[in-house]
Amino acid sequence: MYAILRDNWTLLLIGQYPYGPLGGLALTVLLSLSALVIAFPLSILVALARISPLRALSAPATAWVYTVRGIPLLMVVFWVYFLVPALTGYPVTGFMTMLCALVIYDAAYLGEVIRAGIEALPKGQTEAARALGLSYLGTIRAVILPQALYNVVPSMVTQLVSTIKETSLGYIINVQEISFAADQINNRLLTKPFPIYLILALSYFALCYALTQFAHYLERRVTRKRRGVLTKGKPGIGALASAPMPVDN
Amino acid sequence: MIKFSNVNKWYGEYHALVDIHAEVKKGEVVVVCGPSGSGKSTLIRTVNRLEEIGRGKITFEGQDIHDKHLNLNMFRSRVGFVFQQFNLFPHLSVLDNITLSPIRVRGLKRAEAEHKAITLLTRVGLEGKANAYPPQLSGGQQQRVAIARALAMDPPAMLFDEPTSALDPEMVGEVLSVMKNLAHEGMTMMCVTHEMGFAREVADRVWFMDAGQILETGTPDDFFSKPQHPRAQRFLSDLHAH
Repeated sequence: MYAILRDNWTLLLIGQYPYGPLGGLALTVLLSLSALVIAFPLSILVALARISPLRALSAPATAWVYTVRGIPLLMVVFWVYFLVPALTGYPVTGFMTMLCALVIYDAAYLGEVIRAGIEALPKGQTEAARALGLSYLGTIRAVILPQALYNVVPSMVTQLVSTIKETSLGYIINVQEISFAADQINNRLLTKPFPIYLILALSYFALCYALTQFAHYLERRVTRKRRGVLTKGKPGIGALASAPMPVDN
Repeated sequence: MIKFSNVNKWYGEYHALVDIHAEVKKGEVVVVCGPSGSGKSTLIRTVNRLEEIGRGKITFEGQDIHDKHLNLNMFRSRVGFVFQQFNLFPHLSVLDNITLSPIRVRGLKRAEAEHKAITLLTRVGLEGKANAYPPQLSGGQQQRVAIARALAMDPPAMLFDEPTSALDPEMVGEVLSVMKNLAHEGMTMMCVTHEMGFAREVADRVWFMDAGQILETGTPDDFFSKPQHPRAQRFLSDLHAH
């Protein structure tokens, strides 16, 4: 196993880069992060459209969610792979195909997670914000999303982790992410599938575990802040009752 | 100040507000009372359009609040509203709860808004709690913050929707005393409440509602000592029975 790692660590880590396309773990990370960065704001829009009283907004968002939820990600990948070049007339790289598929898929799933978070908040929160004169969007931004997103962090982390694992489907359309790299090595060595796929599994696990831990760290930070322990570097709540009033923060 | 003319509201078939004609005058404290389900909360929530009405007209300082040209958000920012469940924003500190609307809706500078918030917190007796978060406060303290939050917009009138109903009994007093101070300072107030002691002591007029109608209006003295409407008599005798 050590020998496999020693001989192939660059392929697993960055693919054939810089002599060829970027691949391996780096591509997996790049693909998942790009997908999440694009899908996250989209998913907020999907969630808001889903709960909108305007049918012109809620109907397409609902259709999107139901469609995506009803078909396997692999179908989405194939669709994008064959459909987008046919429609646009331009060839699309495997990376772009996979990115589009992941965004379409994750925006729908994350959208449902966020919608649940929004709908779980008491109606009084919106009413209070509106009664204070905040606009609809102002209410969403200042009052609803900060609470809803925080409350659904565990579900979102689950979704993020599954995105990382979903990038492995890129393998079938020749996206040279880490599963592809592992498969290349296996094809070359032929007799060592167990250690190779163990390395692959451990790599995914390490990546997902690190992300989960990071998310937990963020979650704890926010929790502490909201308990008043970590208010912009100010003393904790214990001291608040007697502390002099900071007027400018 | 707040005038209801022929206000009607339906929830589907259910006639929630029936031909409401009434007025809250400037500087007046009006207590709206009546059995639950009588439409008190619905009525008070129509004033800042948390509830829309089916028919009729409501004016606030002479302005028709259903006027198409009305800037609804600006209008709402001028009506202080206090909820039964406080509805503080739990993710924001007390200070940020109070300054949110002045900064975002009125465009006040943060320092100015915070200075004012501290003044208001002092007024409701919570000057030490600016950096606390709502879940760390008792119900009574939360409701006092909610009052300060509403006052931060310098509203010409304050609406209270059962402000003490969700409180433990020992905390009712602190909230009522803040409200009494407001009343003595000449604030125009409309309060839905079951606190008959407060009504007796502070109200200029009492409106008694049942089944979506205002059945009786009068001074607290008249209303409590010689109620005219049989439904009001029954309501008061039920209260006294406890």
